[in-house]
Amino acid sequence: METERVLEVSGADVEIAIAKGLIRLGANRDEVEVEVLDDGSRGLFGVGAREARVRLRVRGKAAQPSASPPPTPPSARVERARAKVSGKDEVETARSVLLELLDLLGVEKARVEVRRAEPAEGEDKAPLVLNARGVGIEALIGRRGETLSALQHITRLITSRELESYSNVVVDIDGFKARREQSLRRLAQRMADQALRTGRTVVLEPMPPHERRIIHIALRDHPLVTTQSVGEGERRKVTIIPHREQGT
Amino acid sequence: MASMKELVEFIVKSLVNDPSQVYVSEINGENLVILELRVGPEDMGRVIGKDGRTVNAIRTLVKVLAAKQGKRVTLELL
Repeated sequence: METERVLEVSGADVEIAIAKGLIRLGANRDEVEVEVLDDGSRGLFGVGAREARVRLRVRGKAAQPSASPPPTPPSARVERARAKVSGKDEVETARSVLLELLDLLGVEKARVEVRRAEPAEGEDKAPLVLNARGVGIEALIGRRGETLSALQHITRLITSRELESYSNVVVDIDGFKARREQSLRRLAQRMADQALRTGRTVVLEPMPPHERRIIHIALRDHPLVTTQSVGEGERRKVTIIPHREQGT
Repeated sequence: MASMKELVEFIVKSLVNDPSQVYVSEINGENLVILELRVGPEDMGRVIGKDGRTVNAIRTLVKVLAAKQGKRVTLELL
């Protein structure tokens, strides 16, 4: 009996949606009819982005579903990483996890320096700062430090799991975060001065949470201004409000 | 050349309870790489993370490797 197989798939664009559908059907491109249901839209800066949708119909004889992939043995790399860190302390565990990731990300001659930072107020545990260097490491910072945040998140998760307890690992690349923190503190002071001079609230550019936190902390003890974050998600930004009574 | 599949495998197998149920397949197109990731049902949440943070972090990292090859990459969790 001939069964007609139809599948609707979505993806970031039409090409991706078709490719995904072919994989699921286990069919070749020339065996299916493609009907584009929605072209999708990348939107403007991700606003109003819409996934593309296509309907795939397998022509003629029903294609055989693709055989499930053969089980892959746990990769030697994972075994190696696991063995390497067993029974070691937090510093060595975090360092070897990060080195493994850097290697897989194609960074050559990677080195990782570890230092214990000062515990921030109200935090019981001081963060462990891992500063990575190596050839081509700049590629791991990313726009507004996005890639670095991802690398930190994954390093922290794996390290915590290996240690079976939460590890407050901070990943830095060639001192990028340290320098960024310095310039954010200077920016905070400058903008506070401006707020006082003009008597108006100063609105900063949108920033990720940890950067906003640096601004808030930098001005926490300032006697003449108050800081407040406004806006949602990616657009959230710090405002610096001069105290009205203190106008000169 | 560092492989996207290996990167995803290392990260995911390090995070899940059952690494034997982790499968990654890599389909290479001319301009596009598709990575399909399968994990055991109990490990889904762990791999997705809060608000999809973990799977998105993995996507961000594989993009670094894809960019070096001048390709786009998409990672699907099945």
